[in-house]
Amino acid sequence: MARRMFIGYWGCPSRQVISKVARTYPYDEFIDLDVNMNAPSSGLVPDAYCQIVTNIVDNALHLRQNIRLIIASVGEDKCDGGRFAALILKDLGFPIMEVRNTESEREPLTISTSGLPLLEKVNRIMDGVVSPNQKRYPEVQPTHGFWGVPPHDMRLLELFPNTTHVYGWTRCVEAGVPADLELEMYVDPGVPTVFYTQTFCQKTVLAKYLAEKYDGLYIDCDGPLTNSVIAKVTAFIRMG
Amino acid sequence: MPKLVADCGSSWTKIKNLDDGSVFLCPTHDILRNSELRFSAATGHLGRDRTDRYENELIALAQGSLKLVKDSDFTVVDLGSRDMKFVSFRNRKVRKLDWNQACGASTGFTLELLGKYYEVDYNKLPVSDERIPVTCGIFAIERIFEAIIQGETPERALAQFIHGIAYNLYNFAQRPELLYLSGGLCANRCFVESLTRYCEVIPLGRHVLLEGLY
Repeated sequence: MARRMFIGYWGCPSRQVISKVARTYPYDEFIDLDVNMNAPSSGLVPDAYCQIVTNIVDNALHLRQNIRLIIASVGEDKCDGGRFAALILKDLGFPIMEVRNTESEREPLTISTSGLPLLEKVNRIMDGVVSPNQKRYPEVQPTHGFWGVPPHDMRLLELFPNTTHVYGWTRCVEAGVPADLELEMYVDPGVPTVFYTQTFCQKTVLAKYLAEKYDGLYIDCDGPLTNSVIAKVTAFIRMG
Repeated sequence: MPKLVADCGSSWTKIKNLDDGSVFLCPTHDILRNSELRFSAATGHLGRDRTDRYENELIALAQGSLKLVKDSDFTVVDLGSRDMKFVSFRNRKVRKLDWNQACGASTGFTLELLGKYYEVDYNKLPVSDERIPVTCGIFAIERIFEAIIQGETPERALAQFIHGIAYNLYNFAQRPELLYLSGGLCANRCFVESLTRYCEVIPLGRHVLLEGLY
């Protein structure tokens, strides 16, 4: 029986890149290496480092025998961590396709502003990197906002009401413009928003700045959710 | 059965009997030994399994302080055995909040421990002009021991540590002009006077979280 093969990727490669690779390897499955898969530690990444980039390296090493190709986002649409991860994995012998998504034409939003549960919103947006969303969802008035990247521990998203709008990089991904800093910095003023980043991520400075500017809640989290993060988010949502 | 609400802190548990309004304080290790004890409502990590109506500490602090303080804009900080929490309100709506576990770790507990060990009465301890700039109880113990080895008296070393905690708390609360203080350190004169060097302080006592439970 033929071995199941994966096309690994991280960040938000352009639709053209994904389509081209999908045509070249029609039987392979795309797999997002950013996501926590409970892969064993590779030991290659320092302990004090972005958990998402750690996931990329650990997942790649763990799935090594089944990875045909890695589409590595290395431009402004991702981060230096992504660029360095590509370098290391290439040095370890992985076939790497370096890509930079510089798309600037925003596609209309529908998931970010919908009434779906927040976890489902973020999952659908990130699934859209490989399989573009075709559905339209009614827009709801935002009672809260979530700004940031998909967290390592996705349980964080379960704390929010369905009327939470998505902002930041995740919104940029839905719009197909992951390097659009202007859209990344946008939030609706007056909507109580949680500004989230992974600890050790360069985006912490944006999150903190925006939280001050818009009277939001700044949080960063490293690995699994902690009680204090849960308490802060819960209190902010209930009382904000 | 009396209707009891509880703030189950790491070192001390505060319990209020809602039937007669009485409040009592007991060491949390006593609560841990009594597996039968249940509360109508509770806060604090150790209260989670003893009630059907659990409230997280930040919400209890926010609700309790709104009950006790009538200002429209104010900041309250709770300094416990294990951590610090602050909530800042604008127009009586939460504007900012934070809960510092890692960098305010065990400072309250360390003070209690060292006070007992050196038999220091914090209400008679003069405020120090200097401060030991540490945020973590474990580092603090190391610095205090070192200061004593270098010839400081335990009293002076502890006063410097207290001043350091007060300064950290002031910064953690985002440097307000007026600060409402919650927690056991409201009764520590040396601490309150150290904090008064930086802002006006109004102690609310150690029952603020209890007030946020009913």
